Amino acid sequence: MSSTTEAGPAAPDAPTEEGSPLVALVGPPNSGKTTLFNQLTGLRQKVANYPGVTVEKHVGEYRAGSGALEIVDLPGVNGFSSRTLDEQVTRDVLEGRLDGLRPPDALVLTVDCTRLEPQLMLVEPVLELGIPTLLILTMADELAARQGELDDMRLAERLGVEVTRVNARSGEGLDAVHDFLDHVAQRGRMPERACPVISNVPRGMSLPVIDAFAERRRIVREAGRHAKYRPPLPDALTRKIDSIVLHRVWGPLIFLAVVLLVFQAIFTWAVPFMDGVEVAIGTSGGWLAAVLPDIWVRDLLVDGVWAGVGSVIVFLPQILILFLFLGILEDSGYMARAAVIADRSMYRVGLQGRAFLPLLSAYACAVPAILAARTVEDERDRMATIFVAPFMTCSARLPVYALLIAAFIPERALLGPFLGTRAATLLGLYALGAIAAIVTAFVLKRTLLRGKPSSFLMELPPYRIPAARSLFLRLWDRTGVFLKRAGTIILGVTVALWFLTQVPRGMDGSPPSLDQSALGQAGQVIEPVIQPLGYDWKIGVGLISSLAAREVIVGTMGTIYGVEDASEQSVGLQERLRQDLDLGAAVGLLIFFVFALQCMSTVAVMRRETAGWRWPALQFGYMLALAWSGAWLANALI
Amino acid sequence: MREGDVGLRLNLNSTSNVRITMSEVISDTMPSPDPSAADHTASPVQADLRLSDVSVDEVVELIRFEMPDDEVEPLLERGVLPGCRLCPVRRSPSGDPIVEVDGVMLALRRETAGCICVKRFDMDAD
Repeated sequence: MSSTTEAGPAAPDAPTEEGSPLVALVGPPNSGKTTLFNQLTGLRQKVANYPGVTVEKHVGEYRAGSGALEIVDLPGVNGFSSRTLDEQVTRDVLEGRLDGLRPPDALVLTVDCTRLEPQLMLVEPVLELGIPTLLILTMADELAARQGELDDMRLAERLGVEVTRVNARSGEGLDAVHDFLDHVAQRGRMPERACPVISNVPRGMSLPVIDAFAERRRIVREAGRHAKYRPPLPDALTRKIDSIVLHRVWGPLIFLAVVLLVFQAIFTWAVPFMDGVEVAIGTSGGWLAAVLPDIWVRDLLVDGVWAGVGSVIVFLPQILILFLFLGILEDSGYMARAAVIADRSMYRVGLQGRAFLPLLSAYACAVPAILAARTVEDERDRMATIFVAPFMTCSARLPVYALLIAAFIPERALLGPFLGTRAATLLGLYALGAIAAIVTAFVLKRTLLRGKPSSFLMELPPYRIPAARSLFLRLWDRTGVFLKRAGTIILGVTVALWFLTQVPRGMDGSPPSLDQSALGQAGQVIEPVIQPLGYDWKIGVGLISSLAAREVIVGTMGTIYGVEDASEQSVGLQERLRQDLDLGAAVGLLIFFVFALQCMSTVAVMRRETAGWRWPALQFGYMLALAWSGAWLANALI
Repeated sequence: MREGDVGLRLNLNSTSNVRITMSEVISDTMPSPDPSAADHTASPVQADLRLSDVSVDEVVELIRFEMPDDEVEPLLERGVLPGCRLCPVRRSPSGDPIVEVDGVMLALRRETAGCICVKRFDMDAD
């Protein structure tokens, strides 16, 4: 049954009889469930992983009058089959089969009452669990606005649960929820009971799947009839907007415009913020260097920690702006339409429409993109998506591109005032990355990830105005994940690299010169391998350091050449580079950065999402081979 | 009586018993996107019509699926059940159908729609 949990001794946080009661939040996606969760727990949430699986566990604390409760926001599910990991985990939690999480003592269901019967049908099996349940109807204002009707009392009667309406945005109706949770807290933990079983088949019957669903639909339809439910009229505004947004000609044009807007936001509008952050980091680092005595700790802090932390924080404005835009597009309902427009083209190259949002995010950073790929239900499609995500030109590549292009590509007009050689080179690098992604996905789907073609079903919700509070909380959540994952790893590796420049020490305890240090030695060791690409050991050192994070190479080359205040605009650095590399080698280096996987954070996230080292190792090796060959080819031909 | 209240009453003289059961269960209060159909006799036509061949704004009823069971399940979860009423609303820019079913708008690939057998309702003049 629950093949995903690990057997063995109970987890350290195994429940005791005195623990606080657990309330599970269940509902289909887009039912307002997570908005409600955020309302109830605010910032008192924790995100972890369920044991042994890559599904995120969102648990929050709720303080009732009579005690505290734990609320777990289960993944939004469309049913309880074993088809997707999310559904499996939800079922395991509800049945109490997951180590470290006791069966819930109460349930809160959220259902969008503008789609009452379809959504109820999905959660109907849960009503048979027999534990205290509160059914929350969301979007009731929309139901009324579109002339729908529903008698709550009679619905409660028929279903045997408490029913209440909540407008999560305005907070109306939350009193009933608070009352329910208070009672749960008062009642305390439920006594041990036999594990119930939820399945897609009603208890006591053994019907084929189709009939089982029809039976559930029938039960729900009767409940709806008893409650005098009248479905709302179709949303006329949504229809009108869709006639433009999904138009044969206007649709793709609007789609392109939206994509360009997102890019514009990331690259142009974020710049002032990024500059601000850089200045702040630079001045604080300088202050620190001036204030601390000349001991190794100071160097560690300024050259190690500050440089490492700085290289991550500098991207924070971009990440935030990207997430804000994507959040708005998602919550408004446009993202579903974008996925539909993108699907056919993506299908041809071995991906699918749902991969569109993750791959778009990858243009800022692959780490959140790989996490976002969880929305791709088909496991093979998801693997293809996360495997090719690092090929999308992430923001960390830009400082490297900027430096090398400025140093080696003379600025000349190509298309009059519209396009110069430098911009064309940059576009070419972007295109190369995208092409590599497409080809790789295509090949993967025909070889390692071969299987029957996946299906694509996309529900198009009515257009809605995004709620600010929900957006903000989601931004907070995603940013935290980015900082924690990328930040700790990049920081760790940068400090390790700094350390490698400090050993071995001389007899009098003085730090070694760069070529004598451990890092320098490492560069010399790999020199034979990179010589065919036109590089010497100094570039080798730069390449090794860029494994932490791509943009680190800029600072490293600055250090190696002894250039003060190295940055991509630094003329001194550009001159030194021109001495050490010829044009062919430089173009090769650009191509190397297009293809190579130089981001430990990405590797770490890949490991988590694929639950093993096999795929990240394959990805790293494949991208390295591609990078080396590309660089060699460029160096040989130019 | 509001438009939405007019259910599509199936002629229970239609042939298959299975269809009667499903339709009974599903149909009467379902709002009909095409109210004028309520006044006509419905008779099954072309049992092998596929959803991908249905034109926009035409209401059809689902008969059966012709695809493996595990591919059927996601459709069932979204309310696409035998006996349910489907109505293509438009085509996506790439030509894939977007249908309304059970109050929900659903986009699917034309390959999938090609595996869904439906039947039209003939508007016989009485």
